[in-house]
Amino acid sequence: MEHILESLTQFWEYTGFANCSWQNLVMIGIGLVFITLAIVKEWEPMLLVPIGFGMIVGNIPMFPGLNIGVYEDGSVLNILYQGVKQGWYPPLIFLGIGAMTDFSALISQPRLILIGAAAQMGIFGAYLLALTFGFAPNEAGAIGIIGGADGPTAIFLSSKLAPDLMGAIAVSAYSYMALVPVIQKPIMLLLTTKKERLIHMPTPRVVSKKEKIIFPIVGFLITAFIVPSGLPLLGMLFFGNLLKESGVTKRLANTASGPLIDVVTTLIGLTVGASTQADKFISVKSILIFGLGLLSFVIATTCGVLFVKLMNLFISNPAKKINPLIGNAGVSAVPDSARVSETVGREIDPTNHLLMHAMGPNVAGVIGSAVAAGILLSFLG
Amino acid sequence: MRKFLTTVLLLAAAVSLHAQNVSDLIISEAVAQPDSTGILDDYGRRSGWIELYNKSTGTVNFGGCYLTDDRTNLRKSLIPKSDLRTKLGPRQVVLIWCSGRGEDGTFYANFTLAPGKTVYLVSNDGRTIIDSLAIPATLPYGLAAYKQAYDIRKQVFEFVDNPEVPSPRMVNGDHGSVTKGELMKERDPHGWILSVVSVSVVFSALAILWFLFWLLFDRPARKAAKAGDASTTLSMTKGKQGKRAVILSEAEESQVAAAIALALDMETDGDTYAAIATAVHLYLNDAIHDVEPGIVTIRRSESAWNNKSLNFRKLPR
Repeated sequence: MEHILESLTQFWEYTGFANCSWQNLVMIGIGLVFITLAIVKEWEPMLLVPIGFGMIVGNIPMFPGLNIGVYEDGSVLNILYQGVKQGWYPPLIFLGIGAMTDFSALISQPRLILIGAAAQMGIFGAYLLALTFGFAPNEAGAIGIIGGADGPTAIFLSSKLAPDLMGAIAVSAYSYMALVPVIQKPIMLLLTTKKERLIHMPTPRVVSKKEKIIFPIVGFLITAFIVPSGLPLLGMLFFGNLLKESGVTKRLANTASGPLIDVVTTLIGLTVGASTQADKFISVKSILIFGLGLLSFVIATTCGVLFVKLMNLFISNPAKKINPLIGNAGVSAVPDSARVSETVGREIDPTNHLLMHAMGPNVAGVIGSAVAAGILLSFLG
Repeated sequence: MRKFLTTVLLLAAAVSLHAQNVSDLIISEAVAQPDSTGILDDYGRRSGWIELYNKSTGTVNFGGCYLTDDRTNLRKSLIPKSDLRTKLGPRQVVLIWCSGRGEDGTFYANFTLAPGKTVYLVSNDGRTIIDSLAIPATLPYGLAAYKQAYDIRKQVFEFVDNPEVPSPRMVNGDHGSVTKGELMKERDPHGWILSVVSVSVVFSALAILWFLFWLLFDRPARKAAKAGDASTTLSMTKGKQGKRAVILSEAEESQVAAAIALALDMETDGDTYAAIATAVHLYLNDAIHDVEPGIVTIRRSESAWNNKSLNFRKLPR
């Protein structure tokens, strides 16, 4: 009898109920909120469902030493987590993004590339603010990249610069990417006049196949020579795009943009979520990261819209003016921010379609954020 | 009077600044009784030595400071002021030989070391002890008493209880662990330099891309479009089958726009309809470049199975 009681006591000590803390419950609650938002509101479901479930997995209270936790060497989760920790997953995702992205909107109107550069100021605005709040420069750089609105880039950079903050940074980046329509719209309306919102942009020209093939090669050479530290992201992005545009590697492009990116997205979402263990995640720093992440999105959107207005000052031909509503699309949340431009533009003029125009700065933002990540890595890594 | 006061103030400031600088010095290592493997001094003798380390990021001149092994006599061994070699660079070390013959040179003290003694570094005022190192009474022959920085970035040195093999002229800590981030914190504490440089680089990279594509493709294409029919917006060629001109009139363009509008009207918040609208737009503009030729070619490939030379029976020779 005594032996049975002892065994039961021992079993009880191994259960989640015995090891549970309020922090675990809070994190499980946040995970459930993510899953609910993804399913009910359909906000970034491909990301929020794996991240949300990963949060629940990572915060199941357990007896330490069983070699099953994400931070315990050799466990299944730990092995999968290496892709995040060592930065393998983000370049693979970039390969898929490259194979999915059509850069023709950008090639047809090259001037829109600059909007993608302007929106990256959100990264450096957040960097300055993070330093003010007492973060170390490498941590500030990792936090700043949230302003690039690019989940894989944020994970890649934070895994190199501040691995301890990666969970909070990744969750923050993906959360705000899901909230792009909520964050950006008021800023766009605040910074533009009715007259500016009514600007109709000229129809973009059709881009030839030759241009589409040359773009990833030239784009890669230029950006990689300027920022070699961005090679993993830029190389994979442009390589994926070349697979797509060359027309002779359709199977590879289909694999990169389909099964490969799906597998990696599933793993990255799950393991990033699992890495948000309560003891490592719930802290004042995490709250600050969420606040700074929001500010970085605000700064990025503001800079993008204001930059278009600045460009318009130098464009004398009224027919060539740019609608400032596409300025928000300079952040690389593809295609959400471009869709925000379209919907806000059509609210005031149902015949004004900005989607194709906004896709230009949107994909430029992907390149811009990868370049910015490379610069931060070379300075702080 | 004013000049006099200014001079006094400046001198006081200079003295205090000097004192502040030398306070960054520490005695990082000492060997009291070198064994046969110990290093030799400039005279070929094997005597005890102490190692001074400058943990600041600026150069420190320790000329005029004192070394002593006697707490009651802090001015026992003066380090000469006139020697330029007493300027110690940031994060650098220097050896002082405790041979008991101070007259041998700048880097020689007029006392010898022994286990159980404590050696002091005294500021140039002769009163302020900057740092000290107690040599354990049980320090074996040939080993060193030393301080180690467990995290060299913080520059906090602690005395290590276990004596170690001496490491003369080497910093007792791992300088390789100084990260770029830490260096950046020192050089650019507010982050403005990095931000300005980074924004400039991002703009430059994308501006070069813009300029190249504008120059090589966009400008010629627009010129060609201007030269052509103003009412048409599109003209392109596709595939090996020959030229196929696709021309959209203004009316067709508005149909494209209407298709997008219709799709987006149906859209709630998913990507599907936006993708449909984009696809319709691309299809009507014939911008989809993957035109399938509709021809399947089966090529003969050689293998061991159809290689006649391998299948022939070899004749016996």
